[in-house]
Amino acid sequence: MSAAIHNHGSSLKPAYPRAIVLSLASDFGCQLQLSNIADLLDVLGTIKLEYWQLMSSAVLPADYDIAIIEGAVTTQDHIELLQQVRTVAQTIIAIGSCAITGGVPALAAQDLGKHVQAVYSDDADRVAAGRVRPAPISNYVAVDYLVAGCPIDPREFVTVLQGALLGVRQRQQREPLCAQCKTMEAPCFYSIRAAQDIADGMATPQALCLGLVTRTGCGALCITRGRPCTGCRGIAADANLSSARTFIANEGLDVDDFDDALRIYSSHALDDGGEEQ
Amino acid sequence: MIYKIIEKWALEDLFEGLRANYDEVVGPQPSKGHGGPALVFDKLTNFNDLRLDYDTTILPPKKYFLNPDERILRFNRSTGDVFDTEPVQISRAIFGMHPCDINALLLLDQIFLGDYVDPYYQAARKSTFIIGTSCMPSPGHICNAFGSDEVHRGFDLFLTDLGDRYFLSCATVPAAELVDKYLDAREPVAADISDFQARTRQFKAAFKYLPQMDQLPLLYGAKYEDEDLWNQIGDDCLSCGACSMVCPVCHCFDVRDKLDANGETGLRHRVWDSCNFSEFAEVAHDYNFRPTHTSRVRYRFFHKFVGNFTRNGKMLCVGCSRCNRACKVGITPARVIRALQEDANANVGAETPDSADTVSAKKDCA
Ligand code: SF4
Ligand code: SF4
Ligand code: SF4
Ligand code: SF4
Repeated sequence: MSAAIHNHGSSLKPAYPRAIVLSLASDFGCQLQLSNIADLLDVLGTIKLEYWQLMSSAVLPADYDIAIIEGAVTTQDHIELLQQVRTVAQTIIAIGSCAITGGVPALAAQDLGKHVQAVYSDDADRVAAGRVRPAPISNYVAVDYLVAGCPIDPREFVTVLQGALLGVRQRQQREPLCAQCKTMEAPCFYSIRAAQDIADGMATPQALCLGLVTRTGCGALCITRGRPCTGCRGIAADANLSSARTFIANEGLDVDDFDDALRIYSSHALDDGGEEQ
Repeated sequence: MIYKIIEKWALEDLFEGLRANYDEVVGPQPSKGHGGPALVFDKLTNFNDLRLDYDTTILPPKKYFLNPDERILRFNRSTGDVFDTEPVQISRAIFGMHPCDINALLLLDQIFLGDYVDPYYQAARKSTFIIGTSCMPSPGHICNAFGSDEVHRGFDLFLTDLGDRYFLSCATVPAAELVDKYLDAREPVAADISDFQARTRQFKAAFKYLPQMDQLPLLYGAKYEDEDLWNQIGDDCLSCGACSMVCPVCHCFDVRDKLDANGETGLRHRVWDSCNFSEFAEVAHDYNFRPTHTSRVRYRFFHKFVGNFTRNGKMLCVGCSRCNRACKVGITPARVIRALQEDANANVGAETPDSADTVSAKKDCA
């Protein structure tokens, strides 16, 4: 059987759906991860890759089936490109935190004019022409599949892509990360901190772990390597932020620090309320 | 049951005996993770890593019987072929299971070796040798409330710590053979039994807090619709599921398919799940019959205190305290029981563990 797209009941397309990889505002890290796919040749046996900005200088074709999009929306051109892509592509896969949450680019959204002025001073209008408040692509077009992370995990991308080719609805785990952290049997950073406080007889500065509100799925990658979660997958759909903040305060930590740490990847959700700009 | 006495130094002989007879010996030891005071059950290569006087571990030994990520089959979409994963099981000895965890395993037996026998669980159960060990309760342990502070079956060998020696209970033939072959053991005398009794008294007296269990299943049912009661607990819940992962009796799983990069072959596996996840109760048309944090918390403890109790006569909690440590917002069996027992009219506040205990219980691990 061919790997045909029959997403949401639409008609079967021929074998080898045509795919493009596009990049908006990002550091190309997620595209780079695509080239790190261990079974890349297997993947290329299931799609026809028509356009990949990072890898070739070919021009964007007029017709394709799947658009894989990295990066946040930061210009009017991005918006127009996205709207164009949405009319052509049957399926859009957003990859990476910039595309999904606005990511790091969205940090500039508050007081955008001031930031632009600070960097480009009098040249701002020429260099940063057509700028818009940085936002996730879902602010402008419907997204069918997501691969979260900064950068994405190539294996997760493969799983999502194959699901997209089959046309099955993506399973979105909504809970935060702690369950995976516990399944990996990692000690919780908050309890370590508390234990050290007791041992030292004084408070030790300890980085905040954001796993308690972060979208699960990475297998507690950072935590099992000794670093607290920085929330790169964005805020979990079922996150209980108000209870998490109460917990942070009860731990004697600063809730503003917690929110600031969350902003690195989720400022759009926290400050712009996910509303269209 | 055969009872024996061994000196403490003989424990290493037991370890060597196990190593000679089992593919793998596991036991509680400091986590090799990113530090902290946490203990975990892990493979023992060095006897000196073993911590038999441990308080608790992040995950219970459940992980050796229900794999967090069990491969069930592989498939090929083109050919329609399905290849079942046969349960492959190495022989394993678990050194140092506490009574609560052995009792938890007996509860899992009711579920996985009952009407429907789970082949993976069964294979693991058959090839595992269990050495239990006595403990002293720390704050937060409430096994006494569930009758799981004592264990009289479900192990091969049980060690009760008498200070300078162990009181051994051998429950199975392999255990008796092991003791015979590797240990310099003697028969207990009156003084040993007297010390055993003194130790038991000391153990029972060490429980500072006993939740008031009176009529708990009935109260749960009667107060099931009490929105205030449940919101007070449920509003705190992070829906993180950490409690279910670390619980020795929580056993729900999800079955998922995953395609390989070629899009044709793939894997079906089952992974640990939690009824505190909102996906758990989601059915067709995105309908969710437990959509809120509160409805899920209320359900989780209902299954533990009422559902399984009315079906199997046992509550699905052994009071091991792991969820106390894993839950960042203090949602514990004791808190739920206390909330249910509270009676505004009679002003009979159920006993409360003193707050210092609750705090220190959270500082340990997980
Ligand atoms: S807060 Fe972080 S370290 Fe603690 S359990 Fe959650 S993910 Fe793990
Ligand atoms: S632990 Fe947190 S920061 Fe690290 S990969 Fe996972 S979601 Fe990202
Ligand atoms: S509910 Fe909590 S105390 Fe009870 S067995 Fe599970 S982890 Fe242990
Ligand atoms: S009860 Fe606690 S550990 Fe369990 S899901 Fe809620 S917040 Fe997480």
